[in-house]
Amino acid sequence: MSDVFTEERANTLVQDYGGTPPPIGAGPSDPGNGGRQDSSGKSHANAILAMALFLGADVMFFAGLIGAFVVFRFGALHWPPPGQPLLPLGITGINTGILLISGAFMVKTWQNIDRWPHKKITKALTLTTLLGMTFLLVQGYEWFRLVAFGFKLTSGTFGGTFYTLIGCHALHVMGAVLWLATVTVRLARNRLDQQQRNTSIALIGMYWTLVVALWPILYGLVYWN
Amino acid sequence: MSEATAVKEHISHEHHGFMNTYIFSLDHKMIGKQFLLLGLIMLLLGGGLALLVRWQLAYPEQPLPLIGASQHYLETGEAETAMDSYWDSELSKTEDEQGWLVQKMPVGIITPAFYNALFTMHATIMVFFVVMPILVGAFGNYLIPLMIGTRDMAFPLLNMLSFWIAVVSGAIMLAGFFVPGGHAATGWTGYPPLSTDPAWTGVDWGQNLWCISLIVLGISSLMGSINYITTIINMRAPGMTYMRMPMVIWALFIVAILLLLALPVLTAALAMLVFDRLAGTTFFNPAGGGDPLLWQHLFWFFGHPEVYILILPGMGITSEILPVFSRKPIFGYKAMVLAMASLAFLSWIVWGHHMFQSGMNPSMGMTFMITTMVIAVPSAIKTFNWLGTLWGGSIRFTVPMLNSLAFVSMFVIGGLSGIFMASSAVDIFIHDTYYIVAHIHYVVFGGSIFAIFAGVYYWFPKMFGRMMNEPLAKVHFWLSFIAFNCTFFPMHILGVGGHMRRIYNPMQYEFLQQFEHMNIFITMSAFALGLTQLILLFNVFHSMFRGKKAGDNPWNANTLEWTAATPPPHGNFDAIPTVHHAPYEYSAPGISEDWLSQTNELQPTNGNGH
Amino acid sequence: MLDWLPQNVSTFGSEIDKFFYVIYYITTTVFFLVTAAMIYFLVKYRFQEGKPARYYHGNNTLEIVWTSATLVAMLILAVASKPLWSKIKQNPPPAEVIIKVTGKQYNWEVLYPGPDGAFGTDDDYQVDNNVHVPVNKVVHVLLGSIDVIHSFFVPQLRLKQDAVPGREIVAWFEVTEAGSYEIPCAELCGFGHSGMLGRLIVHSPEEYEQWVGQTWPDN
Ligand code: HEM
Ligand SMILES: [Cu+2]
Ligand SMILES: [Cu+2]
Repeated sequence: MSDVFTEERANTLVQDYGGTPPPIGAGPSDPGNGGRQDSSGKSHANAILAMALFLGADVMFFAGLIGAFVVFRFGALHWPPPGQPLLPLGITGINTGILLISGAFMVKTWQNIDRWPHKKITKALTLTTLLGMTFLLVQGYEWFRLVAFGFKLTSGTFGGTFYTLIGCHALHVMGAVLWLATVTVRLARNRLDQQQRNTSIALIGMYWTLVVALWPILYGLVYWN
Repeated sequence: MSEATAVKEHISHEHHGFMNTYIFSLDHKMIGKQFLLLGLIMLLLGGGLALLVRWQLAYPEQPLPLIGASQHYLETGEAETAMDSYWDSELSKTEDEQGWLVQKMPVGIITPAFYNALFTMHATIMVFFVVMPILVGAFGNYLIPLMIGTRDMAFPLLNMLSFWIAVVSGAIMLAGFFVPGGHAATGWTGYPPLSTDPAWTGVDWGQNLWCISLIVLGISSLMGSINYITTIINMRAPGMTYMRMPMVIWALFIVAILLLLALPVLTAALAMLVFDRLAGTTFFNPAGGGDPLLWQHLFWFFGHPEVYILILPGMGITSEILPVFSRKPIFGYKAMVLAMASLAFLSWIVWGHHMFQSGMNPSMGMTFMITTMVIAVPSAIKTFNWLGTLWGGSIRFTVPMLNSLAFVSMFVIGGLSGIFMASSAVDIFIHDTYYIVAHIHYVVFGGSIFAIFAGVYYWFPKMFGRMMNEPLAKVHFWLSFIAFNCTFFPMHILGVGGHMRRIYNPMQYEFLQQFEHMNIFITMSAFALGLTQLILLFNVFHSMFRGKKAGDNPWNANTLEWTAATPPPHGNFDAIPTVHHAPYEYSAPGISEDWLSQTNELQPTNGNGH
Repeated sequence: MLDWLPQNVSTFGSEIDKFFYVIYYITTTVFFLVTAAMIYFLVKYRFQEGKPARYYHGNNTLEIVWTSATLVAMLILAVASKPLWSKIKQNPPPAEVIIKVTGKQYNWEVLYPGPDGAFGTDDDYQVDNNVHVPVNKVVHVLLGSIDVIHSFFVPQLRLKQDAVPGREIVAWFEVTEAGSYEIPCAELCGFGHSGMLGRLIVHSPEEYEQWVGQTWPDN
């Protein structure tokens, strides 16, 4: 195969291109790293775009579940259906606040990534992680109470949608917290160079923002009456 | 490891052992070929299932040829042939000891339960494991980096994972044939409540595996689509503006967006279905407050974009091939791109046309009728522009061209038959009849599969460095074209006669007695169509090793893949090309050749319409 | 192709057929025009030595013309279909006869309200698969299902309506000709789907009287 650039190959290329032969080896248009003008910049941009696309898909997944919920909730005569518990509005409201604050920390960090000193970034991320964990713990406790009350996945469409929808969100938060914790620890230990740090924080920042932004919608739809 | 070093590594480690080259390759071209192979194997399987379905429809409850028991045996119980003795010994065993075959088709007669599994799996395999892997997986992977002028996908590792996850998904799907209770038998649309409770079908793990397999496939498709979109947005060669991208890249770009956004909705619906089946939820079960129509809404919200996922790459391939063999710029490049974009957009708001008779609020029927009528417009625009491309050309009837022309004319029939169903009143009669089956096959076989033929014949030289055998390919084309029309055109007539789809035995109905001969004719044509595909397979594998060596640009085409060596090495290009032109500058004035590569710096003397 | 349509015996069926014909004529015309143009181009512009292709990129006026022309044609078709659709599915005429038909694997369970005209009373009469109705009367069918989705299809009436568990959907028809017609199930409902077949028995007024007399002899 023609992985070696021979003269013969150059000639066929001249014929094929019909014009001047392309430069041999790394020419001005080929920095020698797969066409990327600035390798680190391009892979950063690729990663950010890929994350954005993933989030788009994720939103569609939630849209499917939320669609189902909306059909049931607004199609029902009584909601919650008779015999089903009212959801804990107050404590979840506070929990919503906690999650929103963590989101604010995340966004601030992300915005000031080139301005803030390393220490401050680490601190802000630690706080974000802790707030995320608090959210999960409160949620877990509430679920525990609901299940004890007898409200289960199999409790009609109310139970089904509640646990799948809120559960999917909780899984997202869990994943995000784990990821965030990993990034924070690596940051604290100075394991990331500047480029890696910026990319990781941008990626987890995007993901965290989505997870946080979804929550008030779910809270409003599912908990509010 | 950063992206850049990954790519360097990737380029320098060429021919790096069998495993890395052929199995866990990170090279987009090899992954494309792997998808092609996966699709072709599944095509054989899916086609085989269809032929079994056809046999039953033409000769209901008669033993299959070759493997079925003889008439003598059926009448007298005396074994005459070797198969007779086989059936005889199997039938004398207890039920749990009986083999797989005798459970599905005792004495060679397909049982009703197995029949339902057959057409369910035929459609599932064809949609998810043939057309998608080949059009999107194989052509997408192979063509995107080559045609936009880059060395590989943005995320080669993700690309490899995407393929192997698709294989896992396929394996899960096939496993369903061998579980107790048989495979999913609720149609490729899997409507609940039929699909929610084993009590209704006797199918247990078959349906579960069907769901799980499609969820897994969703992951594969997610990885693929993220990769495609990122690559196309961020990695185009210098000078490759969006409006200089070849049409097939535009098509794949739009398809990737549809895949990205549509598949997750199916995943959500499948997750709910699995919960209903295994965890006792009642999303789709009215007894527990659920709603069976919810599934239909979610399924078709995914499903209609899905049908455009199946056809858009075919449109792209056709738009690629028509200019090359008309030696003429494509007619209305911008209109073509806009038409595809509007198809993609409109495909989100027409899903209800699959549900006109479902019991959905009839006032929604009106809305969906209007949107559906509107979506026929971009399809018409595409057709007119293809005709415009032929107009004034210098047409060469090569095999890729013949298949592309077939695509255009078959797509016209499929699109026009869609208009009948789009009118919700007319749809009352033809919904769930063979009319729909005819429509589907004109768009998906006449469209997508002929586009696959065209694409394989067109890019084979680049992929494998050899030409395919032309006479054989022509025979394959003409036989396919004729057999295809003999198989599927009469289905319109069956539909007009009211012949329902998904029925086991049409001879149970008085009003369908008259169609016995037509069903036999269709079945014979279908077998001819199936056998004809063996010519293609032979040609592919024969030419791969024995074909005439191909040059770098056997068709004198303009797009970038033809500037790479044949077959392209790892990393594709000696140097990343610079693009100077739109992709279809054929027969340009002031140029001595009748083609003008996108990398050629020369400019035509009169630049009409750039 | 249109000769293959089953004989039509319902009031709205002929209107559906008319629509079918109109779309059929339009689409066949379009098909022949497109195909003729294609074949003409293929022959006229086939490769010939010394006859180069035109270097031509398209024409915006033409694009606008054919886009708006098809758009208008499609919208007209949609708007024209609307009244018929509403008539069949949205605004049924007042019922003269009401029956309940419930799908179950693999039969149509037919329930007649009896002389008192009310369901759930002692004189209800239930039978599998046989739907007795009088000719030239508006019949409302309250469609339901006890298990999976079925579809109530009478080819000669051009009537099809899914029967969905958990819902009661009203379908209606008025038959113009006495006779006996098949009621296949049109939605996959399990391995017995293909055998699920009811019968619509349309009686002349006298015959109908007779059938009523036999079925409810006490009245
Ligand atoms: C002019 C454009 C089109 C129109 C107006 C149209 C219209 C329709 C309508 C109204 C139905 C539902 C019919 C029913 O079930 O009663 C339908 C079914 C279908 N269409 Fe199309 N269609 C068009 C193009 C396509 C294309 C391009 C494809 C695929 C490549 C496609 C694939 C399908 C499939 C697979 C089904 C059947 C799904 C099923 O029930 O299993 N259609 N089409
Ligand atoms: Cu559709
Ligand atoms: Cu049925």
